[in-house]
Amino acid sequence: MELLQLVINGVALGAAYALVALGFVLVLNATGAVNFAQGDLVVAGGFMGVALVGLIPLPAILLLPLVMLTMAAIGLAVSALAYWPLRDRPPVSVFISTIALGIIIQNGLNGAFGAEPRTAPAMFGAGRFEFAGLAVGHQSLAIMVVAALLIGGIHLLLGRSQLGRMLRATAQDREVAAALGIPVGGMVALTFALAAALAGAAGLLLANQFFVSPADGGNFIVKAYIAVVIGGWGRVGGALAGAMLVALFETVVAAWFDYAVASGLLYAALLAILFVRPQGLFGETVGRRA
Amino acid sequence: MSDPLLYVRGLAVFHGTVQAVEDAGFAIGTGEVVALIGANGAGKSSLLNALMGLSRRSQGEIRLAGESLAGLAPHRRARLGMGYVPEGRRVFAGMTAEENLLVANREGAAARAGRLAEMYRLFPRLGERRQALAWQLSGGEQQMLAIARALMSRPRLLLVDEPMLGLAPALAETVAAALRDIAAAGAAVLLAEQNARAALATCDRALLMRLGSIIGEGTRHEIEGDERLARVMMGG
Amino acid sequence: MRTMARLRAWLTRDVNTLLLAGALGLAAWPFIQGDPYSLRLLTLSGIYALATIGYQFVFGHAGALSLAQGTFFGLGAYVAGILSVKAGLGFELAFPAAIMAAGLLAIAVSMPVLRLGSHYFALATLGIGQVVLLVAVNWESVTGGANGIAGVSKISLFGLTVERGWPLMLLVWGLVALGALAARHFSSGLAGAKFSLMREQPMAAEAAGIDIRRLRFSAFLLSALYGGAAGALQVHTVRVVSPEVLEFPVMVMLLAIVVIGGRTNIAGAILGAVLLVHLPEWFRPLEKYYLMAYGAALLAMIVAAPWGIVGAIAMARRKWLPEQNPPLPVAVSRPPGSARERLDIEGLVRHFGGVRAVDGIDLSIAPGEAVGIIGANGSGKSTLVNLIAGAEKPDAGYIRWAGARIDALPAVRVAQSGISRTFQSLKLVDGMSVLDNVAVGDWRSEIAERTRGEAVHLLDRLGLTEFAWRLCGNLPPGLRRRVEIARALMARPAMLLLDEPAAGLTEEERKDLARMLSELNRDGATLAVVEHDLEFLSRFASRLVCLDGGRVIADGTPESVRHEPAVIAAWLGRPPGQARDV
Repeated sequence: MELLQLVINGVALGAAYALVALGFVLVLNATGAVNFAQGDLVVAGGFMGVALVGLIPLPAILLLPLVMLTMAAIGLAVSALAYWPLRDRPPVSVFISTIALGIIIQNGLNGAFGAEPRTAPAMFGAGRFEFAGLAVGHQSLAIMVVAALLIGGIHLLLGRSQLGRMLRATAQDREVAAALGIPVGGMVALTFALAAALAGAAGLLLANQFFVSPADGGNFIVKAYIAVVIGGWGRVGGALAGAMLVALFETVVAAWFDYAVASGLLYAALLAILFVRPQGLFGETVGRRA
Repeated sequence: MSDPLLYVRGLAVFHGTVQAVEDAGFAIGTGEVVALIGANGAGKSSLLNALMGLSRRSQGEIRLAGESLAGLAPHRRARLGMGYVPEGRRVFAGMTAEENLLVANREGAAARAGRLAEMYRLFPRLGERRQALAWQLSGGEQQMLAIARALMSRPRLLLVDEPMLGLAPALAETVAAALRDIAAAGAAVLLAEQNARAALATCDRALLMRLGSIIGEGTRHEIEGDERLARVMMGG
Repeated sequence: MRTMARLRAWLTRDVNTLLLAGALGLAAWPFIQGDPYSLRLLTLSGIYALATIGYQFVFGHAGALSLAQGTFFGLGAYVAGILSVKAGLGFELAFPAAIMAAGLLAIAVSMPVLRLGSHYFALATLGIGQVVLLVAVNWESVTGGANGIAGVSKISLFGLTVERGWPLMLLVWGLVALGALAARHFSSGLAGAKFSLMREQPMAAEAAGIDIRRLRFSAFLLSALYGGAAGALQVHTVRVVSPEVLEFPVMVMLLAIVVIGGRTNIAGAILGAVLLVHLPEWFRPLEKYYLMAYGAALLAMIVAAPWGIVGAIAMARRKWLPEQNPPLPVAVSRPPGSARERLDIEGLVRHFGGVRAVDGIDLSIAPGEAVGIIGANGSGKSTLVNLIAGAEKPDAGYIRWAGARIDALPAVRVAQSGISRTFQSLKLVDGMSVLDNVAVGDWRSEIAERTRGEAVHLLDRLGLTEFAWRLCGNLPPGLRRRVEIARALMARPAMLLLDEPAAGLTEEERKDLARMLSELNRDGATLAVVEHDLEFLSRFASRLVCLDGGRVIADGTPESVRHEPAVIAAWLGRPPGQARDV
């Protein structure tokens, strides 16, 4: 019973992590670059919720689209400032530039809000559903539902729409995509915007249950990185699965040992996976014809 | 040639400090199949890439139906009517065959579906394999996919880079026939090949390329009898 | 006279004058701003400089994105701090202990971690860092837990106390100077060239007999030792052992310094460290937002100068001021060996993706022969070269060299056993001089000066002397080919295996190259040259082997082979629809 309760909590956390990892892997596929600011974008989304609730007296659920749109605009800025000027340079330059952008975001938030943890407004209030001895908070449920909807929406976008096909083609082979008439520069910018919007949504969702402080960004990006490595570098489905695994591991293990040991075990598990299966649990993206 | 579809003059392409193409000039008319014949390293791919705008450093005049392409990005050239079948096919490996085709068309959904049906008529094998992921297709199927993909946007000029490479003879024949049909339907084709015999069997005119320069030009029959042909192939 | 010439050459090389000015400025600074806070900043700059100089080995020279440097730094700080406070050890014992601890950690993790590809390697090193941090925060009895240990004493060296301010700063910068000199030594001679080749053209490095894995490991270990040393100094400067020293911001700082200062330039590391340690201070007037401005400055610097500030200055300088080259080392000739080894290939098969690239090849090459291997694209010739050189493994069949089987050997061992190969797509280091690109080919090299002298001799032989100091990236393809052949010759190979050496060359250059190859063969080298230019091969090869569809279809003198109908058919290609005759 207790385990099941932990699993439910873990799934809620995993749902939020999945949004972060999804944004991370979309940019990775589209550009080959690691967007280290993704974690700080999550925090920015959370703080946006904190700020807006004072200004606009709306329930958080209605704030969500507003936060996502604003974050999308910030994503375009990230693409223009930290990626586009360095797109032909060695990838480590983008690593550093996005780290720098992350520092800007983190310290901007620090200056504006101070360093203490804050909460964002709840989606549906603080109640909980109870059945069969398990409790699912309204907020946890909201996270799972919203995340599922967003991920499902992205899945449909990528899998069924022409725009989604164009995004995927750009990610697979940018040169050929351009030669087929696809405006690849716009596709890359759009990918960054999507990633930032997803990060913002995750931040808004998490900030109610888990508090948010400016320095949390590093934690999120490392979790996303781990999720993507476990799931197979570049695999979208793998990243989602990896995010869920990370969250479940964290939640369940942290209940028995303390949080620090849980984190340590997470890294130890990661190193073990890399040692045994360096290509991740699901392998890297494209297969080779036997 | 009056009013050529493609007009090229003084084209030079550089890779870093190395010159891959030197002072290339030629013209292609609507409905023609022109073969660009040369050995490995002669500069054929560099020339085609420069026409498509994929080259980092190139100079010279390129006109499509009279309009200059100078400075235009690849996706704009595609929209003006240039199609591109790259060397090594380069299909979008993680997408299905059908998705590969759909993504290459910029029209509305109905027109796109119509064009898709036309492609399946032209290449029935692709229709059978439409849901397969592109990396699962055989070499010949990938080649057909790459050609059909380039045709989805109804190009006026089709640039094809070494389509016969690694294909079984029967498949190479299918590809050759497809290219002839495409030209017959009103587009022009520029075909870069090192398989000289296959290229000559498919084309109307041919250009001989060696070490970055175009050293000969003529009709198919003229080139077949040209003694420079052997030199171009066996002499690097 | 020679010393004067050397001095002048050194001064006008790269940005050395600018750096000399910078060094003098740095030395003068504490006399201008002598207050305790400025001295502390300068001391910290030195500490970060030391850590970065070490980081340059793994990040710059070896080109590996290690995120563990901060961990080695923090570990050194913890070990030195704990030994000083809890065991009362003097610095003369704690310092080496800290360095050793970092080294042991590096050795412990290197085996599983170093073989990972780039992004996995980065994450694995990050993970190790997090584990160490967690140990530090939770092993309260030893490390003081989350609060750490306060009151770390001043440095006590053999009983003498090193006061804060000037004495500590001088000690730190003295160690920086020692570290810089040591680093110069480690990357001196041809070590730097070997790292460059390994980093930019790993396949070529292996083909030149360089053991990449060992090189990567030594770079990783060195970086750890420097990191540990710097950490030990840091703990005595800030006087407290705290988990902060193991957190990510330290790693970010080191990464920023190395990217902005320059990845392999030692002076750049020092300049970068001074700059980035002082930068946040300049923005302090912005109060709450000063770190935000710091991030913006960092972003601006990486976008404006992706190769680092020193790199950018060096590039600008090369544009505006011509370089005075040092005098060439004296040419040292080597006695021409005569090859005695024989290559035997039996039933070689290699297929991938359903294609039989090599479909049963039998071939023998006697010592001293000059054999041309011709075939169209897709005939299997490049695969054959890769199989012989050990870059690929056969699915069936044997390759014997000097009587022993080599088909299962890794490329680096094949190279070390006397087969030197070149690559179709030239694999040279564009940013390195022709002389060094050639000299790096002698994997047995012990004395750099002598090796360079032998390289000069080869440059003379191949007509490259006037280009000795030119960067390879600026040479036309014909000359670059010769450089790669010269590099292959440096290893004193028994057999030269050349993959399409005439590609991209003009008619004249082909004639020249054929002549050179002829001479090399006369001097005793066995040649196996893969090409599709029959004319070119006929000029020096006594025997031609023609490949088609992964098999040998002709083997004889150039005259006889070129007239065989099967060969002519393979050459001009078949008309579509006509199958190959089996």
